[in-house]
Amino acid sequence: MNTPQPVPMLSLRGVGKSFDGHPVLAGVDLDVMQGEVVTLIGPSGSGKTTLLRCMNFLEAYDQGQVQVRGALLGYRRGPSGQLLPESDRVVAEVRAPLAMVFQQFNLWPHMTALANVMAPLTLAKGMRPDRARKVAADALDRVGMAAKADSLPANLSGGQQQRVGIARALAVGPEAMLLDEPTSALDPELVDEVLEVIKSLSREGMTMVMVTHEMSFAAEVSDRIVFMEKGRVVTIGTPDQIIRRPEHPRVQAFLQPWIRRSLGDTARRDAIAAGASQ
Amino acid sequence: MIDLTLLGQLLPVFGTAALRTVALVAAGLAGGLALGFLMHLLRETRVAALAWIYWAYTAIWRGVPFLIHLFIVYFGLPAVGISMDPFVAAAVTLSVYGGAYFAEIFRACWQTIPRGQIEAARCMGLTRRQVFLRIECPQALRASVPLIVNQTILLMKESALASVITYPELTMTAGKVVSEQFVYIEPYLLLALSYWALSLLINRLGRLLARRVAL
Repeated sequence: MNTPQPVPMLSLRGVGKSFDGHPVLAGVDLDVMQGEVVTLIGPSGSGKTTLLRCMNFLEAYDQGQVQVRGALLGYRRGPSGQLLPESDRVVAEVRAPLAMVFQQFNLWPHMTALANVMAPLTLAKGMRPDRARKVAADALDRVGMAAKADSLPANLSGGQQQRVGIARALAVGPEAMLLDEPTSALDPELVDEVLEVIKSLSREGMTMVMVTHEMSFAAEVSDRIVFMEKGRVVTIGTPDQIIRRPEHPRVQAFLQPWIRRSLGDTARRDAIAAGASQ
Repeated sequence: MIDLTLLGQLLPVFGTAALRTVALVAAGLAGGLALGFLMHLLRETRVAALAWIYWAYTAIWRGVPFLIHLFIVYFGLPAVGISMDPFVAAAVTLSVYGGAYFAEIFRACWQTIPRGQIEAARCMGLTRRQVFLRIECPQALRASVPLIVNQTILLMKESALASVITYPELTMTAGKVVSEQFVYIEPYLLLALSYWALSLLINRLGRLLARRVAL
């Protein structure tokens, strides 16, 4: 007897995407299972962000297919099996289990933090305002932003805005979250507060696909790391295999500057510790 | 020398004329905003044929002087059986002319909204209509207020041309005084002051509105 295979949260097969005839993704296969944290790394222009955006059809992929919980995303099968563009309504239904967090936060500046989190609940989910207010307040509380519920985005720091962005994504009760370089637009001193929130989500078992340049963080929270280059997946492995002890020469070269920097950090820390103990 | 007594005598006449100018500009503003927003909606549908109407309309009406439009509407349209009295002809022309500029103002203000905000809304399940009404309108309409105020002042000044189709607004009234009494400096000074006062008024109302809608 075969045990039934669980349906992946996200399943990508041969996903390709071109901009003006210039291929950005060239056939990507990837399954993301429930509860998994998968991080996409790789050099600029390797297609990480485009791949993430294809996962919820913010970019329309033009080859292969993306399935969300087994449902084809963005297209439907025509009479002879060809892919036809799907209606906005069905696309919205299929991607409903996914929520996204953006590099630039993309909060709506004319709404308070609370209104930002409430809007998808009342408008897209049809939730009653009093109930939505409660759910939104809880979500803001989870990211430590309850005190700023009535602030406009312009009056929040970047880290606070991103935490509201995460609360907005959380409030709709997603089954998986897509995070597109969630800390890349932040001042260094604001990065940690956002990473802490993401760490707590991973501890709670949230399925996440993330693009990030924070290598230590990626190694800490990820179940699997995907290394991409030139629109292809070069190698997939555990954080140990890809980041801590990279075997693939291309990954080694990519991580070299980061390793040198973190070794520098370690050496500096050792020196400071040595100085303190004298 | 400036005859102050004459100025005093002319004041009530110019007061009445100023009200006619205000009525014309108000009609042009209301009609222009409605038509401009409608045209903007056509463009937002992203249906090619409707977008083409937008481009043809804004290009033609912004590319020809207001006076020529006025001539065609008032003197030309009767040839195809459409006759209007001077006020209606001037108000319609001002509306359609202003609408072309208002449409472009709306387009420009809509374009200032970062794409990411729309993407966030779309991938959170908001429909196109909800994005338009809840995300775009509140921001773009706020941004449009100063531009609309400025355009209204321009329309107010264009309205002087309604004098050539005999609508007795400010400029025609001044011309009448000149030709009947052979005085120049007093009516023209009063005329300039009237327009300037109206522009100050529009500016002031605009600033009140901007403050009302500010976040």
